[in-house]
Amino acid sequence: MSGRLDRIGLLAVPALGFLAVVYALPLAMLLAKSVQGPDGFSLAEYRAFFADEYNLRVLFRTLRVAALTTALAFVIAYPTAFAMSRAKGIWLTVFLVALVLPMSLGVVVKAFAWSILFRANGVLNSALMGLGLTERPVRMLFTETALVVGAANVFLPFMVLPIYSVIRQLDARLPEAAASLGATPWFRFTRVTLPLTLPGVVAGSAFVFSLAVSMYVIPSLIVGERQQNLSMLIARSFLFLRNEALGSTLAAILLAIAIAVVLGSGWAAARLGARR
Amino acid sequence: MAGMTSAAPGRHYLDVWGVAKSFRGTRVMSGMNFRMDRGELVSLLGPSGCGKTTLLRIIAGLMEADEGDVVLGGRNITRLPAHRRNISVVFQNYALFPHLTVAENVAFGLRARGTAKSACAGPVEEALRLVRMDAFATRPVSALSGGQQQRVAVARALVVQPDLLLLDEPFSALDRKLRETMQVELKALLRDRGITAIFVTHDQEEAMGVSDRIAVMNAGRIEQFADPSTLYARPATPFVMDFVGLSMRLGGRVVESGGQTCIVETAHGRISAPGGFAPGTAVQVGVRPELVAPGTGENTIRVELADAMVLGSKTVLHGAAQEGDRLICEMPGIRTGLARGDAVDLGWSVADTLIHEAAA
Ligand SMILES: Nc1ncnc2c1ncn2[C@@H]1O[C@H](COP(=O)(O)OP(=O)(O)OP(=O)(O)O)[C@@H](O)[C@H]1O
Ligand SMILES: [Mg+2]
Repeated sequence: MSGRLDRIGLLAVPALGFLAVVYALPLAMLLAKSVQGPDGFSLAEYRAFFADEYNLRVLFRTLRVAALTTALAFVIAYPTAFAMSRAKGIWLTVFLVALVLPMSLGVVVKAFAWSILFRANGVLNSALMGLGLTERPVRMLFTETALVVGAANVFLPFMVLPIYSVIRQLDARLPEAAASLGATPWFRFTRVTLPLTLPGVVAGSAFVFSLAVSMYVIPSLIVGERQQNLSMLIARSFLFLRNEALGSTLAAILLAIAIAVVLGSGWAAARLGARR
Repeated sequence: MAGMTSAAPGRHYLDVWGVAKSFRGTRVMSGMNFRMDRGELVSLLGPSGCGKTTLLRIIAGLMEADEGDVVLGGRNITRLPAHRRNISVVFQNYALFPHLTVAENVAFGLRARGTAKSACAGPVEEALRLVRMDAFATRPVSALSGGQQQRVAVARALVVQPDLLLLDEPFSALDRKLRETMQVELKALLRDRGITAIFVTHDQEEAMGVSDRIAVMNAGRIEQFADPSTLYARPATPFVMDFVGLSMRLGGRVVESGGQTCIVETAHGRISAPGGFAPGTAVQVGVRPELVAPGTGENTIRVELADAMVLGSKTVLHGAAQEGDRLICEMPGIRTGLARGDAVDLGWSVADTLIHEAAA
């Protein structure tokens, strides 16, 4: 029995080797730098980081933008996933293509497309002013709102697809059973449909949050240097400040957040699944 | 039709009136009328795809009929959504909520009606005791066997004191022995509590054992609606004769008609049957196999045995028959000395002979 398992286990060797060389090893070297003082092990870099109010603002902003992006993506994705689960034939294809195709467009193209929409003399502002809703152009580009909207747009498929796959497996008779027991549509949704689709929501949220907390290109293009997030700070530390210790400290913090998200969602999924 | 109660609409507890339903342009039900009284246990019996579930869902409000009305207790509920009908459904796969415990499942209907959590405990416990599942209250439903899940589903449906209980093949997932136990239990439970229930099944023995009356359905219509004994002894159509119980079956043509009886020419000779069919009519004659005996009778046919099966409590003789006919005779107890290839006479009385116009 174990011989058989071992041989199948061998199939994972290429992936493990690949990950070890290009991922684990450099990461370990990077993290080692963050705890390396002039004379051996030291947490000075971390102390310095958390003592600086600017750094804390960046950290807090990064988490806030990631949370808002996740929330917005959820609000848009949940009904979309339901619509998809009802769609048949050509409509399902349309939905899937509409979700997947923009991913191949790349963030850069999208960001420039948004700027046409959001800039001072852009489509939205022209419309607002034309309607007399505002006299001066509203500042949209370079705001956190624009960043959240843009990020949610890019990461939407990562929220829709896990929720969609859970909804597709949902037994349609369960809401019906609830209805025949006297449950109003709202009660059915909050007590049956939502709890049973939560595993998909957890998975999708973990994806989107991880992506949003570490994004670099989207904020660089939409808000630029004036509102930095963790990834931008890391890049600056390495590229401009040449401060590898700071950079690796920031990387370690980002990694800790990612690990927390993975563990948290794993725990949530296990808790949701435990009763089944 | 025999046994069909005909009365003005509205006089009955449940009155389904002129219901029609199509799926993507295909009509699966039209002009469906179905009535029952309070406290009655009625079965919908029919082959797969005949529209039993469709009718049940229309009554429950889980599906909208294209035409027709549903009146329950004098109130027209046709346009009422399912959650305001007070009609409970036990689904074929039970449809228990997988994220809730046994007790939470049973409490669901009460909670949905706004009952406080604390006030649910009593009724939930009573309902679980009723189905002998009180020891499992805190278990997750996934940890239950099929029979236990079925009991929980019944408790969940009953705890809200529904005006009508609908059961869609509630036993079909259980093995035969458990199914028979559950049938007896459920029937007693519904009787004791005076619950009006409709019970869907395609097992004719189950329908006969459980219900006061049976509506035999075929292709979106009710062929006959009667109590089990009438259904068996006086099937109104060839379909009912075939679907409810076994029977000897012979196709033929009426050759002589004498008012009360007529004579039918079949592949096995002439048979007399009660009924005034005109000469030339294509008919199907039949007789229940336990009413047939070896030897001559008022009607006698000579058959060549295809098989003689000794089953213990009875012995069944099968005759070699042409396409569409069935020759069968059942005798109580063990009979030996008959073998394949023997020629035997089978006889029965004219009064026991069933005759229907052949389906076009
Ligand atoms: N949602 C649907 N869409 C299309 N056709 C349907 C739908 N539901 C039922 N039908 C069709 O309507 C007819 C009646 O179906 P129904 O489910 O009522 O049969 P049934 O008597 O319950 O059969 P079974 O014993 O197999 O459960 C069938 O021909 C079925 O194919
Ligand atoms: Mg059915």
